[in-house]
Amino acid sequence: MRVIILSWEFPPRIVGQLANYVKELALQLLKRDVETYVVTYHDFLTGEHEEPKGVKTYRVTNPVRTHIGVLTWVLTLNQEVERAVANIYYEADKQINLIDAHDWHFIQAAVTLKKAFNMPFIYSIESLEEHRSHGANYPFNMAIKSIEWLGLYEAKEVIVKSEWMRDEVIRIYKVPIDKIKVIEPNSKTWMKDILETYQSVAGGTMPK
Amino acid sequence: MTQELTVMMLTWEFPPRIIGGISPHVYHLSKSLTKNGVKVYVVTCDFPGAPQHEIADGVEVFRIDSYKNPSPNFATWVYLMNVNMQKEAAALVNRLDGRVDIFHAHDWLVANAGIGLKHVFRKPLMATIHSTEIGRRNGLHFDYERMIHETEAWLTYEAWKVICCSNYMVSHVRWAFGLPEDKLIMVPNGVNIQEYTENENTDLRQFRRKFASPEEKLVLFVGRLVYEKGIHVFVNAIPSILGKANAKFVIVGNGYMKEPLSNLARGMGLAHKVMFTGFVDDKTLKNLQRCADVSVVPSLFEPFGIVALEAMAAKSPIVVSDTGGLSEIVEHDVTGVKVYPENPDSLSWGITKVLLDEKYAAWIRNNAYKKVLENYDWDKIGRQTTDAYEAVLKEYSRSIWA
Repeated sequence: MRVIILSWEFPPRIVGQLANYVKELALQLLKRDVETYVVTYHDFLTGEHEEPKGVKTYRVTNPVRTHIGVLTWVLTLNQEVERAVANIYYEADKQINLIDAHDWHFIQAAVTLKKAFNMPFIYSIESLEEHRSHGANYPFNMAIKSIEWLGLYEAKEVIVKSEWMRDEVIRIYKVPIDKIKVIEPNSKTWMKDILETYQSVAGGTMPK
Repeated sequence: MTQELTVMMLTWEFPPRIIGGISPHVYHLSKSLTKNGVKVYVVTCDFPGAPQHEIADGVEVFRIDSYKNPSPNFATWVYLMNVNMQKEAAALVNRLDGRVDIFHAHDWLVANAGIGLKHVFRKPLMATIHSTEIGRRNGLHFDYERMIHETEAWLTYEAWKVICCSNYMVSHVRWAFGLPEDKLIMVPNGVNIQEYTENENTDLRQFRRKFASPEEKLVLFVGRLVYEKGIHVFVNAIPSILGKANAKFVIVGNGYMKEPLSNLARGMGLAHKVMFTGFVDDKTLKNLQRCADVSVVPSLFEPFGIVALEAMAAKSPIVVSDTGGLSEIVEHDVTGVKVYPENPDSLSWGITKVLLDEKYAAWIRNNAYKKVLENYDWDKIGRQTTDAYEAVLKEYSRSIWA
C-alpha cells in the first residue's frame, strides 16, 4: 500500500501536537510495510534536521511570500502541496492508494487531487475551528469552517481521536456517524484500526 | 493537427457576469477561437439566472459556485473561489479523460486554479495579464497589494507564455516581474463591430432624452469607478467645459469611488449636469456609446483601454489620456484626441475641441472607425492566439511532460 500524508506541521517544524503524532504515524506505517510519503511545509528557518528513516518527506515553501493572514497563506501554499503530490503520483506510475489529510490546512489540495485522479482521501481531525476560535463566527472563521465542511463532505472516511470529537463533528457539521472512525492514538488497537480504515478506503479504488 | 486543439479558459468573469474588460475579452476570444476550429471550455464564476452549463456560440461554459460565504476581504474571496474553481475544473478534465491541451488563465484572479491544474494534469499553462496590481495602485504600499503582486509574479513564472494586449503592457509586465523577453507575446484586444452596426438605423432620439435634453451635448464616461480610471480628473474638468459648451456628463459604471465622486460633483454645484447611471445593461450601454457626442477615457493607468475601441466602433469621437495602451490605440488629431493624464485643463481642452468643431469630430470619428475595422478584428486576434497555442504545444511536445 502507498499512502501520502498531508500535514502542515512535521518535525522539526512543531506548532502543536500534530507534528509528533504524524511523525509517529509515519514510522508505524513503515513498520507495517506501508510505503509512506509525507508532504509538509518547511521554510528552512529551523536549521538542520534529520529526516525520519524511510519516510519520504517532501517539504514545500509558499510561492507567495507576503500575506495578510494565515488564511491566504494556507490557500496559496496548497498549490505547492498539490504540485508535490502530483509529482509523487506520476513518479509512482499513478499507483497511490490514498491521501491522509490532517486538519483543514491541505483539504484544498486533497479535494482537487481526488477530483482529478479519483484518489480517495481520509480527513484526520486533530481540532476544529469551532473550538479553536471559541465559536467566533467572523468571516475569517466561517471561511475556515467552510473548508472543514468541504473536507468532511468530500472525504471517504473521517478519523477522529476521541468520542467527544466524533460527537462534535456530528453536532457541528451533521456528518453521518458511520463515516467517522474513532481511533485513539497510541492505544493498543491504534495501528490495527488505522490500517483497517486505510484498507477500506483504498479497497477497490486502486487508481486506473 | 489531427486531433482538435482543446483549451480550457479560466476567468472570474464571463457574460452575463461583467465586472471589467476580462469578461468581453474572454467571450470574444473564445468565440473566435471556436471559429478557428479550437475546442474551448470556459470555467467561470456563477451568476444569478445564468445556467451552470451551457453551449453558447460553440463555446462550452461551466459556471462554478463562486464561494458565497462571507470572506474577510476581496483577495481572500479570490483564493477561496479558486478552491471551488480548480475542484470543478479538475473534475471536468477527469470526465474528459484528460483531453485538454492548454489551460489559459486570465489575471491573478484565477492564478491558483491555473497553476494547480497545470501540475495536476501536466499540461502547459498560458496566462493573459490584463492588468497589474503595481500599475493599478501606482506602486505597492501594503502587504495586501504586495501579496497580489507576488501572486501575479507567480502566475507569470508558472506560465509557459504570457500574453499582453499592448506593447505598453508587454514592457510593463517585463519590468514588473522581471520576465525574459521571449516569454511575452503581444496580441491586441479586439472589438466586435457588428454589435454596433446591426441596429444602426434605429432612431435614438427618444432614448437620448432619458439622459440629456436635445440642446445638450452628451459627454460619456464608461468604466469601473475606481481611482486609476481618473474619473475625478474628468469631474474637475467639467466647469471649464461648461463655460464654452452646453453639455450633460453621463458616468456609467460602479465602484468604490461612486459616492465620493457624486459628492464631489454635488459640492461643485454640478448635480444637474452630471448623471451617475450605475451599471447598465449591454443594449443601453451600446446605445449610449452611439449617442455620445464625445467619449472620454481619462485613465491614469490603462493596460489596453477596450472602452476606447468600443467608442470607436460605435462611431463616437474619443478623448483619451496619453498613457499605456491608449497611447497606442489613438493617433492624436487622426483617430482621436490625446490629452495629458491627470490634468483637468488638458482634458477640458480636448473635450471642448471635439464638442465645438463638428468637422473635426467627424474626421477623427471616421478615421477611428476605419482603424478598428483594420486592426482590432476578433477573427484576426483568434488566429494570432491559435498560432501562439500551437507554438507552445510544439515546444511542449519536446518536454519531459509530453
